[in-house]
Amino acid sequence: MKPILEVKNLTVQFKDESDRRDLRRKPGTKENLAAVHAVSFSLYPNEVLGIVGESGSGKSTVARAITRLIPAKEGSICLDGKDITAVRGKERRQIYEKIQMVFQSPAGSFDPGRTLGYSVGESLQNSGLSKQQVGERVKELLVRCGLPEEFADRYPHTVSGGQCQRAAIARALAVQPEVLICDEATSALDVTVQKQILHLLAELKEREKMSYLFICHDLALVQDFCDRVLVMRGGRIVEEGTPEDILQHPRSSYTEDLIRAALL
Amino acid sequence: MKMAGKTGDGRYQKRKISAKQKLWILLILTLLLLLAAIFAESICPYDPNMQNYDMALKPPDAAHPFGTDRYGRDMLSRVIIGARTSIFSALLLVLIIAVIGTTVGVLCGYAGGAVDMVLMRVSDVCLAFPGLVFALAIAAVLNGGVGNAILALAAISWPKYARLARSQTLAVKKAAYISAARLAGDSPFQIIVRHILPNIRGQILVTAMLDVGTMMMEMAALSFLGLGAKPPTAEWGSMMSEGRSMFQTYPWVVLTPGIGIFVTVVLFNLLGDAVRDCMDPATRKERGIL
Repeated sequence: MKPILEVKNLTVQFKDESDRRDLRRKPGTKENLAAVHAVSFSLYPNEVLGIVGESGSGKSTVARAITRLIPAKEGSICLDGKDITAVRGKERRQIYEKIQMVFQSPAGSFDPGRTLGYSVGESLQNSGLSKQQVGERVKELLVRCGLPEEFADRYPHTVSGGQCQRAAIARALAVQPEVLICDEATSALDVTVQKQILHLLAELKEREKMSYLFICHDLALVQDFCDRVLVMRGGRIVEEGTPEDILQHPRSSYTEDLIRAALL
Repeated sequence: MKMAGKTGDGRYQKRKISAKQKLWILLILTLLLLLAAIFAESICPYDPNMQNYDMALKPPDAAHPFGTDRYGRDMLSRVIIGARTSIFSALLLVLIIAVIGTTVGVLCGYAGGAVDMVLMRVSDVCLAFPGLVFALAIAAVLNGGVGNAILALAAISWPKYARLARSQTLAVKKAAYISAARLAGDSPFQIIVRHILPNIRGQILVTAMLDVGTMMMEMAALSFLGLGAKPPTAEWGSMMSEGRSMFQTYPWVVLTPGIGIFVTVVLFNLLGDAVRDCMDPATRKERGIL
């Protein structure tokens, strides 16, 4: 089967101080400058690929490089057979019709001065739909993600984290993407809401036929949700396999540590 | 602002005027002032430029509530007419520097790199000179006049807005919602117009409001030094300058335009404060302002 997303030898380096603020907390060895080092993996259609690892292991950097929010230093990223590593301008904007992301902070990923409806419908507006069409589609998307229609007129700070994350998922679904990256999408939510959001994601996956790149630090969540898991540490992939494999027969000591930490 | 109000059982209780009410009161007062400046000619009791040496330097009385100057011109009429030059030149000046400064600042903050370097060094150069002295030099080279005074002050004042807009843009740029906007397919221009400008305009607006007073003072200072409005144009700064030698004997000649400056500066400063109070981001939307 042909992968929908193929990442080869991806290396990301941060060029100035402000970009690597997360890394500066650690002792400044030269190796720390490369946030992601020679990472390769493939994501197949309709698959859920989990990436786990501690904070600063480069999980989010991988996500941001794949979505072209930060540049890759080396390697290639192929989306649906097309190399998107260096596309610019309009071509770069077009990749967002196929790949979308749900961010970690629910409220922070919405412009505080815009209604949820505006943010959810922004990509539709950019694709040239009329205002009325956008409005109808936004309501439809909100309802599909378990929010009442009226939320289109609400502002981000008036809704809860879980509701905001539902709206964020609705926003990602607007363009009917083939790949959805969830960058710690459930980490900022409390346990019960986490379950609801996971449930929604699982349901949507069946209906929309999407592939997920599910980035998470919680092994327990990964176990239930993912078909395959990558374990990252210090910007490298240390282990790859099915959740059962990794939990029952961890090959690296780091994975063992992670499992022990999760079971505490 | 707190006011004492009497409650039903006779006790006095402190009552708060909401930030929004305060803003409305100040907006109405400012509007009145601006209307007075616009329709100055119809309000003036006398022709502000009509000279009458028999009436020179008369102290305030019923016919001339602000007295007359050394050419016998009615001070009240001149103060009212002067409001137009003083207030509108200050407003125009603030508008110019806020627009230029914000444009430059947002560009620098968003683009970064070489653009940022070059534009910010240019603004550093402008900031390196002592403000009013630099403005004086420019005004002197360009010759006086209100238009040139505005140009001179604009040249030294825009970097403040550029710096403010740049730092605000840098802060907003890091937010996740900017990444989200890029994922929605926004072009850099759309990101700036839709997400950056609306989120920094509050700060810029408040600074601009507070600056109206400062700029009025600086325009007055240039006029006072003879590089602003040219006689016989009535302008508060130049009126004070004309009368300064008579301050001890005929104080009203200096004090009345001074009152004009004082009232306007205080009003715009209060308005700026009120706008800032209403812009408090957590409560802004609930109060339904902007």
